[in-house]
Amino acid sequence: MISHCLDYTQAAKAAGRPIVGIMCEYTPRELIMAAGAVPVCLCGGDVDTIVAAHKHLPRNLCPLIKSTYGYLVEGSNPFLEMADLVVAETTCDGKKKMYELMARSKPMHVLELPQKEDDPVAFEHWMSEMKRLKDALEAYFGAKITDAKLRAAIRTMNKERRLRRRLAGLMKADDPPLHGRQLIEFKSSISGIDADLRMYEKAYEEYAGSPGVAGGKRVRVLMTGVPMVHGAEKVLEIIEDSGGTVVAMENCTGLKPILDDVDEKGDPMAAVAKKYFALACSVKTPNTARMESLKRICDEYRPQCVIELVWQACLTYDVESYSVKRLCEDELGVPYLKIETDYSPSDSARIAMRVQALFETVRGVAKA
Amino acid sequence: MIFAGIDVGSRTIKVVLLDAEYGKVLAAAIRDQGVDQAALTEELFHSTLEGKGLRPRDIQATVATGYGRGAVGFADTTVTEITCHARGARWLVRDARTVIDIGGQDSKVISLAENGDVRDFAMNDRCAAGTGRFLEIVVARLGVSLDALGAIASKSLNAAAINSTCAVFAETEIIGLLASGVAPADIAAGVQNALASRVASMAARDIEEPVALTGGVALLGGMVTALEKALKKKVLVAPQPQMAGALGAAVVASSM
Repeated sequence: MISHCLDYTQAAKAAGRPIVGIMCEYTPRELIMAAGAVPVCLCGGDVDTIVAAHKHLPRNLCPLIKSTYGYLVEGSNPFLEMADLVVAETTCDGKKKMYELMARSKPMHVLELPQKEDDPVAFEHWMSEMKRLKDALEAYFGAKITDAKLRAAIRTMNKERRLRRRLAGLMKADDPPLHGRQLIEFKSSISGIDADLRMYEKAYEEYAGSPGVAGGKRVRVLMTGVPMVHGAEKVLEIIEDSGGTVVAMENCTGLKPILDDVDEKGDPMAAVAKKYFALACSVKTPNTARMESLKRICDEYRPQCVIELVWQACLTYDVESYSVKRLCEDELGVPYLKIETDYSPSDSARIAMRVQALFETVRGVAKA
Repeated sequence: MIFAGIDVGSRTIKVVLLDAEYGKVLAAAIRDQGVDQAALTEELFHSTLEGKGLRPRDIQATVATGYGRGAVGFADTTVTEITCHARGARWLVRDARTVIDIGGQDSKVISLAENGDVRDFAMNDRCAAGTGRFLEIVVARLGVSLDALGAIASKSLNAAAINSTCAVFAETEIIGLLASGVAPADIAAGVQNALASRVASMAARDIEEPVALTGGVALLGGMVTALEKALKKKVLVAPQPQMAGALGAAVVASSM
């Protein structure tokens, strides 16, 4: 996916379209698209960029933040190099403070994300942040974000979410027609590319009629927790190499951002604000929406166990893991395992052992 | 019907032969790890068989466990050390609900359901504090043997507080304590307490009794007392605690 995203971005840049780097699923891509710009995900998943990040950032910081920033230090992420503007949010403290450093060399617009879930005052503030982003985009790129353009972008994004949801839904089958690692490969770093939408459709048609890959013998796994950026799929690979199939990913690189669409009726700004504000990230307090979402996904995808991935030093997901564990074990009756790791492969054998021990429990090898 | 369990651990290799019909351990052997662990394991396996006048074909099934389990070419299958320690400890300590294993390179706390199924486990495998390796570093610094650590610690009336959660920094802390004149006995007792509280804090759920202690560290005097203090629970040492993993592997082999 990365190579065609690069071609697309280079062509767009050459055609004079602005490139906007985004760092998080809270960013309303629709606004960027309605401004005629291309929203490109900049999250870093490369272990080799982390050494460069240590020049400015502390070691005890999540690898996603370090890798993203390491690319900037190295000047080695072509998408970041091409970006005319970066839009980011006050999500976790690590990202927020990293953006300050990134703003020293990149034009940066930071949205303040209020963190109280279901709070009308918090939503009002988020709505005002949407309006300020709209103004900022118009000022940066001399564009006018009309309601009509915004509605068109909403329709495109809704279509994309629908197609990705349908493809992911194939994993609900007793014997899914593809592996989790194949599914995640489909995810594009850029939204709204026609070729991607066609590919999602084609993939669905191809796999919908295909026989299962597992013969029903693999352990069904729900992954939750932090995003698994391109290049940082090691735990997913360990799980599937150990005899599991990741049938669902609740995280930001999986189902989380595509579960809900933007309402196509009414005021488009309010509809966009509503959809993104509801995202169930662990920076929210409380984050009951994530627990509800996990229940729904467990019900639909029927995992035999839940594996939570926590990047080292990701405080919010790490602390929230206690609530997820309680939900899985006490309410849903599904075994739960937390894996805390970083991008380095040094602990892969130990992670594999834990995953295999969990699978032995699921399969009854550990039965007395 | 004889079954074999092989535990290829980080510091030692263990072999257990189990007579499943009579529910009896026929032989249990242990040797230090080395560079060629596959050859060392095979040697130990064959010498254990010979010691009992057995041949490989007398063994019904063999299960390998431990971090080097993949290197045991002649095993029928491999099973993780979590499952094997759970099964082995349960065999050694009737009705155990919690297994604490402190090995050379990692430590683990396993919660068992009433019927013995693994419910949950927590591991420390990214750092040496909370493992046997930590104690090895300490005895080297105190200039005593590992076997003597418990006896020395038992003389302490006022255990030193070791606060570092990293084995390397703890060593620095110990150097500082020695320099300021703290008695080795108090340091030894402090180190055992630190190890015990480190392991106790690892437990993912409430520790339920009976608690079985396995792994080589269980053999050290004073460790049980330190653990009981940290957990506020009674701790039962499994007989031949180092063999729990290999025994568990043999038990798994017998139930395949």
